[in-house]
Amino acid sequence: MGTIDARPAPATDWGARSIGTVWRAFDLQIATYAALLTGFGLAMAYSNTVAGGTEALVPGSVFLRGLLWTSIALTAFVLATAFDYRWLKTFAWPLYVLQLGLLGGTLAFGTGVGGSSRWVSLLGLQFQFSELAKILMIVILANYMASRHGRMGSLWSILGACALTGPPLVLVLLQPDLGTSLVFGAVLVGMLFMSGASLRWLGAMAMGVVAALPFIWTYVLRDYQKERLTSFLDPLADIRGAGYQLYQSQIAVGSGGWFGKGLTNSTQNQLDFLPVQTTDFVFAILAEELGFIGGMVVIGLFMALIWRVIAVGWRSRDPFGTMFAVGIGSMLLFQLFVNIGMVIGIMPITGIPLPFITHGGASLVSIAVGLGILESINIRQGKAEW
Amino acid sequence: MSVDTVGLGGQPAAPDRSRARFAVFGLIVALLATVLGARLFMLQVANRGQFATLADANRSVTLAVKSTRGVIYDRTGLPLVTNVPSYSVKIRPADLPEDRRGEVVRRLAALLRMNEADINIEIDSNPGSRFDLVRIASDVDPQVANFIAESRLDLPGTEIVVESRRHYVTGALLSPVMGYTGPITRGQLDALASDGYLPDDLIGMTGLEAQYESILRGTYGAELIEKDASGRKLQVLQTVREPVAGNSLDLTIDITEQQYAEKALRWGMSTAGLKRGVVIVMNPQTGEVVALVSLPTYDDNLFAHGISTAEYADLLANPDKPLTNHAIAEHFPPGSTYKLVTGSGGLADRKITKSTQLLTAPYLTIGASKYVEWNRRGWGLCNIYCGFGHSSDTFFYQVAGMLGIDRLAYWAEQFGFGSRTGIDLPGEVKGTVPSNQWKLDTLGSPIYPGETYQAGIGQGYDLVTPIQLINAYAALVNGGTLYQPQIVRDVKDPSGQVVRTFETQVIHKLDIPASVLETIRQAARNTVLLRHTYNLVDLPIIVAGKSGTAEFGTRDAEGRLPFHSWFVGFVPKNPSPTAQDPTGMKAVTRTDSDLVVLAFAYDSRTIGNVATEIVKYYLQLHYGIQKDYRNFDLIARGNFYQSN
Repeated sequence: MGTIDARPAPATDWGARSIGTVWRAFDLQIATYAALLTGFGLAMAYSNTVAGGTEALVPGSVFLRGLLWTSIALTAFVLATAFDYRWLKTFAWPLYVLQLGLLGGTLAFGTGVGGSSRWVSLLGLQFQFSELAKILMIVILANYMASRHGRMGSLWSILGACALTGPPLVLVLLQPDLGTSLVFGAVLVGMLFMSGASLRWLGAMAMGVVAALPFIWTYVLRDYQKERLTSFLDPLADIRGAGYQLYQSQIAVGSGGWFGKGLTNSTQNQLDFLPVQTTDFVFAILAEELGFIGGMVVIGLFMALIWRVIAVGWRSRDPFGTMFAVGIGSMLLFQLFVNIGMVIGIMPITGIPLPFITHGGASLVSIAVGLGILESINIRQGKAEW
Repeated sequence: MSVDTVGLGGQPAAPDRSRARFAVFGLIVALLATVLGARLFMLQVANRGQFATLADANRSVTLAVKSTRGVIYDRTGLPLVTNVPSYSVKIRPADLPEDRRGEVVRRLAALLRMNEADINIEIDSNPGSRFDLVRIASDVDPQVANFIAESRLDLPGTEIVVESRRHYVTGALLSPVMGYTGPITRGQLDALASDGYLPDDLIGMTGLEAQYESILRGTYGAELIEKDASGRKLQVLQTVREPVAGNSLDLTIDITEQQYAEKALRWGMSTAGLKRGVVIVMNPQTGEVVALVSLPTYDDNLFAHGISTAEYADLLANPDKPLTNHAIAEHFPPGSTYKLVTGSGGLADRKITKSTQLLTAPYLTIGASKYVEWNRRGWGLCNIYCGFGHSSDTFFYQVAGMLGIDRLAYWAEQFGFGSRTGIDLPGEVKGTVPSNQWKLDTLGSPIYPGETYQAGIGQGYDLVTPIQLINAYAALVNGGTLYQPQIVRDVKDPSGQVVRTFETQVIHKLDIPASVLETIRQAARNTVLLRHTYNLVDLPIIVAGKSGTAEFGTRDAEGRLPFHSWFVGFVPKNPSPTAQDPTGMKAVTRTDSDLVVLAFAYDSRTIGNVATEIVKYYLQLHYGIQKDYRNFDLIARGNFYQSN
């Protein structure tokens, strides 16, 4: 395990450089793609609000809440960019304790639908701490892997990373939030792979996980989770039960065509056919209203964003920066593929939000923090070497 | 892997990163994006038509439009049941979140003044799917319905439905005939779903409502509506098929006669302390039932309003079976009224003639068993007029003995006993006509001679329903045609056009010479003339008939059996006695009577025959006879004296 890196970041660094230098190092593309995706998210929030029969700017409307969260996210992004990311390495262990505390607190005090506890109400806004916990997880793993830089070939390094990920993953699974715990796992795998960990050991562990699947199926997963996981194989088998969402969302996507029905014109959304359309299935409505073109634009923006995120990692001279960027990239890619894959019927239903688009404040703010840290890393690397 | 290198400035050098792994990561990103794009293309562009159709199908749905149920009129055109609008509370289980169910049920129970348990039973016994409405309460107070409709958010899954409710104008007066409608059961739905019945439908449960369900119901229409996911109707897009209202029924029942009959029966029951009774009035020329009263009964409006479990349990627990139509759905020993069969059979088989005299002794013996005359004395030598008139048991023991059980059974079947009459009401039973074969089949031994004696006077194994008995006398009265009794005269379509007119339904012609029936009718008049029926003869009209007393059950401490009382009477067409025919003996030779009336008193422990008194009171009301001939003292309860 790593030790706390007690070396303080050089406080002079930020002030020593001119604003112009900082601005040139700021990755404008990341901010642009993120802003455009957030714009799509707001458009969907607007569409959903208007289709629901309420004025867009009525207090409490999905759209207004979206605007509020966007401004909070923007503030978080700016603060994270300005913040010297190197302090994160210093405080990695306290952050780990904070993460466990947030997740433990959610379990103890949280509320949610159907007997789960996922949200904590803060100042009248519901906040899902597991979203923030994902970013914290990436910070902690990046710090750990960077501190073991060069020794990632050993089995112990891999086991150490797994041991760090284990407790938060279990806490999230207990909420129960299968989707977020899968994101934890995906981030771990992505970062391990990119850290240069031994492929032989990674392969062996992957086989171990496969071997454990029957056990997980029997003892860990709850019945409704199993139903959702399997219903995608044949959604028509139970179109009024577990397969209902899936069936309805494919109808929504499928009826969109090339150009869609136009914003606010989704019949599937308007008439409430798609349950939870404001959250995890929002891409279905997007594809119905904006069509194949709109859907491809969104996927393209994600690709460009992930590309830039990975580029930051490539450029970073600091192994922490590399690993952090890889973690954010893995997270975005996994959530993108699993969420859209679920909506279009090629992945099981797991309840993973689509970053930027899903109308959830915590998700947006957490990603803003993550991208802000990336910008902070970028700014503090000096000129790119390539 | 590489060795960690530290730069000159103490800063970590650019870490060596595996180009290969970055390349792999990039490839994975590209691959996954391609998969998503390809699938999206497949769904949205390649297969577009299929999903667009599904989305349209999703939005619009064809829903049934309920038809107006046909109404029912009495024979004079008075409405007996009408449709009134009412509010029902229904729940769509799919829209009721399981974790809020307890709270919703609690609120509804308080609002509707129902038991939570009753509501839960309704939800759980829902015959349809979770997406079909479940009826919770019918005929809810409009203010409560309004309140529930306004608190939709607090009562998810709850819907208020405006529908029409049956209003039974005459209520309990006609309940055994009319019946009622109720929520369709799972079994009925399974059988009828292909006929367009819906899980929250009402269906005729008993009485005419059940018997004529298919005629009254009409045909449901259909309309294409736009709906949201929970099935709420947003707007009608197109009417696919207009609903066709049900046809209406005109009954043979005359509500005035029904009221007379009920009044007479209620008087007799309260005076004699009876718990159950039946009065039926028929036109023997056609088989039309003019009045049919079965007491105790219930108010069918209770069911129309949506009967509570407690009220229903009370009705079910009542030992006098108010939910049963005693006129058709129960059988009893007929007693001496059955001498119609024995007498007609003896004459038709020429075992006796109308002048044959038999000795009526205090008792007859078979082996060690005594078969006692009801008055313990007898009337000496007696012919059929005397034997029928005094209701001599020993006379008819002998005639039954001459016929034998199987011939007796043949003549009983001629009069329609042992088979359902086919009256257009559900739940009719057959009764029992004993024969050797019947006893072998059911009890494993042939009939003993003493049992033939018993069968000859309507005791022992003989069991008849009141409707069978009056129908048998109707055949006697009309000269030998056994008609199927009918309650519905004709059927009219919603515009008032008659679509089915009344036609008599002949079961069969009796295999009995007209002269034999004439003899029995005269013997029945003799019953009245001999004052066997007390002062019935004093009425200013010619009445003929036969009373009966039938023992049943088990003997009390003093060896006495409880008994039922019967009387079946008829009145010729011009009922006033004339100078040429002061006794009315000539009047009853005619077969033009249009009035047969039967009274049945269950467990009547009175000196006089209470059934005779009930018929007498009915005739007084029917003919508007001012003077009151009723014998209150003879039928006061508490005496075990047995008369025939």
